[in-house]
Amino acid sequence: MSFDLNLILDSLPKMLAGFGVTLQLLVVSGLLGLILAILLLLMRLSGKFYLDWVAQVYIYIFRGTPILVQIFIIYYGLPQFEAVRDSVFWSILREPTGCAILALTLNTGAYVSEILRGGVLGVDKGLLEAGSALGMSARQKFIYITTPLATRLALPAYSNDVISLLKSTALASTITITDMTGIARTIVADTYAPYEVFISLAIVYMIFTFGIQKLFGVFERYLGRYARREE
Amino acid sequence: MRFKSIQLMAIGVVAMCSAFNASAETLRVGMECTYAPFNYRTAEGELAGYDVDVAKGVAAIIGADFEYVCQEWDGMIPALLANKFDLIIASMSITEKRMEKIDFSGPYRFSTGQIVGSKKTRVTLFDGSGNPIPGNFDGLKVGLERATTYSSWFEEKLPGADVLLYDSSESLYLDLQNGRVDLIMTNPMKAHLKFLAKADGAGFEFKGPVVDEEKYFGIGVGIGMRQGQDELKNRLNGALKKLINSGDLESYARKIFPFKLHKDEWGQ
Repeated sequence: MSFDLNLILDSLPKMLAGFGVTLQLLVVSGLLGLILAILLLLMRLSGKFYLDWVAQVYIYIFRGTPILVQIFIIYYGLPQFEAVRDSVFWSILREPTGCAILALTLNTGAYVSEILRGGVLGVDKGLLEAGSALGMSARQKFIYITTPLATRLALPAYSNDVISLLKSTALASTITITDMTGIARTIVADTYAPYEVFISLAIVYMIFTFGIQKLFGVFERYLGRYARREE
Repeated sequence: MRFKSIQLMAIGVVAMCSAFNASAETLRVGMECTYAPFNYRTAEGELAGYDVDVAKGVAAIIGADFEYVCQEWDGMIPALLANKFDLIIASMSITEKRMEKIDFSGPYRFSTGQIVGSKKTRVTLFDGSGNPIPGNFDGLKVGLERATTYSSWFEEKLPGADVLLYDSSESLYLDLQNGRVDLIMTNPMKAHLKFLAKADGAGFEFKGPVVDEEKYFGIGVGIGMRQGQDELKNRLNGALKKLINSGDLESYARKIFPFKLHKDEWGQ
């Protein structure tokens, strides 16, 4: 097998042209997914069985099915209904990017809400009792005690999920989006050289992941600044 | 005398061995298996279609067993080069660009393309001599299958067009119906049979003429193989010519269409 280094140098800048699209998918669906996750978390913690139940079913469905299937159902399935095509949502669902962001948001929201719940459950009961002893209301306890501590506890698992979301964005290339993977596949189709192109693509994703890891590392250290021992 | 008989025996053994080898030869054939009516699975799960008939006809003539491998289109040539299979019989046009990487047999089917769009899209896309008018494609979204003759034609002729690349031809029709794309370019025989003649395709029609420029569409559709296999190529060419001259190839086409899909001169 011949390995064409020039091809890697040629295709890298082309793939980086899709970096913006990949970043957009990651950031937009990551933020929307986080908001959704917090809503689901509040439903789970509400103590109202009907809210809790709805959230549980939702999480079960979106964690129980492959993201690729979810993308296909949203992209190819929904437009089969005329009602969808006539609705106000069609302007979003018509666009492949809208469908991809929707699917990634719904998927990551389900996972992240469970991660956040793990964080909330990990907060020491004694601290909450101390809060009660100080006369804090349930809301105050949630905002001033649970939230900061739960965030710190959930952060490592959450950064994991962001990285896996980054890799899920590659699936957007199956619905015509020209993200980095979409561009790479087109280059392979032109050059018939899958090794060179996909290996360079893998390297680009690895660098991207490294950046995300470092970013979360900084954030983790910031949140953990009180827990660090003095040197 | 004794020597002679040993020699004869030796020749006999060699001949038997080679005959045995020939009948046991197995070639793996790559195709999409979703490209009706050329290669697809029936409801019973059997492979069928024009390409499949050609493959079976060729296999019988060259005395080989064919094993079929289903492969997505955009990975077809890489998979052949990576030895995942030995032949491509998948409606692949013999283009110059592909010839740089792989070899082809002679042609066994015409290779053409035509644009399909909604009847409501009232734009003249081609001028009188059959050339596309780039300006009139402005604002229209075009759906194409990745790595096809159609996508290279568009790339060359209409580099400014707003092109979306799909992984399968079925999704092209879906998104044309859903209004995500305004035009698609595909094989007209296939588009007619699988889309326009059906209820789903009622609101759609061909836009512009059939395109078959040899530079992009090649001299036709052939059997692809790795380079440097001239002996195999000659056997395949011989078999294809036999199919053309015996009328079998025409009968494969007439199972599906009221006309043949090849030129008789390809049999010479």
